[in-house]
Amino acid sequence: MPSFFQTWLPFIYLYGVGGFAFLVGMILIRRSNAIDLTIKRHRYWYRVLIFGYFYFALMHAILIIAALYW
Amino acid sequence: METQTSNFETFHNIGSSTDWIVMVVYFIAIMLFGSYFGRYNRSTKDFFFGGRRFAWWLIAFSIVATGVGSHSFVKYSAKGFEHGFSSTMTYINDWFFIPFFLFGWLPIIVYTRIRSIPEYFEKRFSPSARFLATLLLLFYMIGYIGIGFLTLGKAVLPLLPENFTMLGMHFDITLMGAIIVIAIITGIYITFGGQTAVIFTDLLQGFILLFAGFFLFFLGISYIGGFDIFWNLLPTEWKMPLAHFNDPPSFNFVGIFWQDGVAGSIGFLFMNMGLIMRFMATKSVDEGRKAATFNILFMLPLSAVVVGNAGWIGKALSITSPDLVPPNTSPDQIFVVVANIVAIPGVFGFIMAALTAALMSTVDTLINATAAIFINDVYRPTLKFLKRKKEAAKIIDRRELAAARWSSAAITTLGVVSVLAFKSFPTVYEAHGYFHSTLTPPLVVAIFLGLFWRKFTPAAVITTFVGGVALMIVGLHSPHVITPFAHGIELNPEHPYSYIRALYNMFVCAFVAVVVTLTTNWQNNIVQYLKQKDNGTQIVYGMIALSVLLFTFILFSILPIEFDFIVVFFLIIGVAIVSTYLIKYDEDKQLDGLTAWSVAKAKEMFKGGKINNVEGEKVSLNWKLKEGEDNFVNFSENDMKRMEANEGDLVYISDARKYLGGLKSVHSVYGKPHNEDGIVYISNEDLKNGVFVKGRLVTAEKEM
Repeated sequence: MPSFFQTWLPFIYLYGVGGFAFLVGMILIRRSNAIDLTIKRHRYWYRVLIFGYFYFALMHAILIIAALYW
Repeated sequence: METQTSNFETFHNIGSSTDWIVMVVYFIAIMLFGSYFGRYNRSTKDFFFGGRRFAWWLIAFSIVATGVGSHSFVKYSAKGFEHGFSSTMTYINDWFFIPFFLFGWLPIIVYTRIRSIPEYFEKRFSPSARFLATLLLLFYMIGYIGIGFLTLGKAVLPLLPENFTMLGMHFDITLMGAIIVIAIITGIYITFGGQTAVIFTDLLQGFILLFAGFFLFFLGISYIGGFDIFWNLLPTEWKMPLAHFNDPPSFNFVGIFWQDGVAGSIGFLFMNMGLIMRFMATKSVDEGRKAATFNILFMLPLSAVVVGNAGWIGKALSITSPDLVPPNTSPDQIFVVVANIVAIPGVFGFIMAALTAALMSTVDTLINATAAIFINDVYRPTLKFLKRKKEAAKIIDRRELAAARWSSAAITTLGVVSVLAFKSFPTVYEAHGYFHSTLTPPLVVAIFLGLFWRKFTPAAVITTFVGGVALMIVGLHSPHVITPFAHGIELNPEHPYSYIRALYNMFVCAFVAVVVTLTTNWQNNIVQYLKQKDNGTQIVYGMIALSVLLFTFILFSILPIEFDFIVVFFLIIGVAIVSTYLIKYDEDKQLDGLTAWSVAKAKEMFKGGKINNVEGEKVSLNWKLKEGEDNFVNFSENDMKRMEANEGDLVYISDARKYLGGLKSVHSVYGKPHNEDGIVYISNEDLKNGVFVKGRLVTAEKEM
């Protein structure tokens, strides 16, 4: 069985440190008004950006579980 | 035929004459396909940028060839063979910086109409910042070309014999020899049609590469006996999608996260001029966003399977048939070895042709982009600086074309020479990782802070380029300074910290940038004091000479490591004060429309008036040619109302056939309305640019 160093630690680090960078990006584009949530199309993009983060996290989690138990 | 070199087994003479015939035919077909689209260029802007006309899906698929073609098959198959499914992790870690790109960098580069990244540095900071950025970017691009040549050499070498005899003379075929011949062929394999041809050639090659990759996976799985057998052959560690956290030094998660997920992702999205030119060819910023998003969400995960699966199949074969694929096969050759085993003659030739043609066009695109940077950021500013007398546009154009040609030849030669720096690495993957870790951080930090931090000054960016690079050189000479950043990765004396040095390099560059920015008031006080002194200018010139001397000390590691940090400290102070003294910086002018905080302003500058953000419909119409010379297009009042458009807004008109992806389209400006619903009057110039077909419907939509 692979150790924690090859299963969930990289996952936690990737979506923790990467997630922090992502969060900073989301806050910056909001505060600078580069993304203007009063515009309908921008609201759609904001949701797409959030979806992308969880889409990749879910993809990696499924791949790790499949490797361990399938 | 197999030979033993060091610990790896290498192969020669793979493939048959059928394969070689298929490869030659494929190359000729691709070149003819590309040259057909050359007729859509009517200006140099079209040649480099494709004229801002294409639909998102067309660009998204043409980017696949850039993502898959650029040395990926060889390097990811190698890592797939050595470490398993974790070879995919570099393709699935690009999302974290996408908010910065979609709503920061992309709108800024489109709306400010910059033609190269160094040009942004001049507008946002100063001409000297542009000069240093050009220098760093040329290093980066030439290194990238070198990596491309190294990969091509490694892909082609297994197909060639070990030696041959010609005119009674005996020649050994070496990696460098193969690379030099490839470089000459690449010079001949020139894209005739400019950016439009590149986009369509890449579109075709992208589909072919995806098909070839999945076809190879299917053939491999069939050869092994089905997916269940393949899956159960592989050890569990080997099926993990992420590598071990910090071991081995040649492939570990944390190093690759910082090298690829951070420096690489920002470098790829913010610095890769070839890719940026592709996004600028989309019809609007929103279409560029769609292309980038679709590419990262869907195409990159698929590409990860396409480029890595030969390594996975190779690993399974090395367990079931070690006589066919010895476990110690050279990793960089595994793609060619596996393709040859699972594909019949002819099909193998097709797969190899798809791989090498895509690689060659990637290298070719890089050479073109580097030549464009040379002309835009070295040649023109130099002539301007030398204040050449005014000449006719035709003469200037002819001279620039000649300069572009000889600079392309020089860049190709430098690319071949740069291979020498990379060929000592055991695999292309590590060479590329080391290169990325070393060359991207200063530019990545400078672009990033320039875009998102309004207080970031020209003095800070120049000091980042000089002081940050000096600290990076200290890390090159004394890898022990990187150890505190290494997350427990073991120091390999032959190739110390190939990946995690990206974290150290970004940290020191960001540290210098932040410290110099936060001490701007102190610098201004010192500069005021110097300006009041009679010999202030002499003191500044003395500081420049001292800074050059200190940088030389660092570059050649003349002093012991303990003194290096003291030297860098004084170097940073010197460069910051000299830059503040010499550079005129108008904060209001140089921030307007050039940071994420003023995207709306950039949009207004692009349009030349107030923005109309009301969302309208897309309308279908017949077109008629109008008389007169003005370049406006005229719709009926009702049609304008449906589009929520006002006179002076920007409009995008395209052939109604969606599958053309915007190939026949034009941007224009709304003129005075008329009363004929369903008809748009367009000028002769717009008709020439749009290449519209008589009797075919067009669609029109307001751009902003």
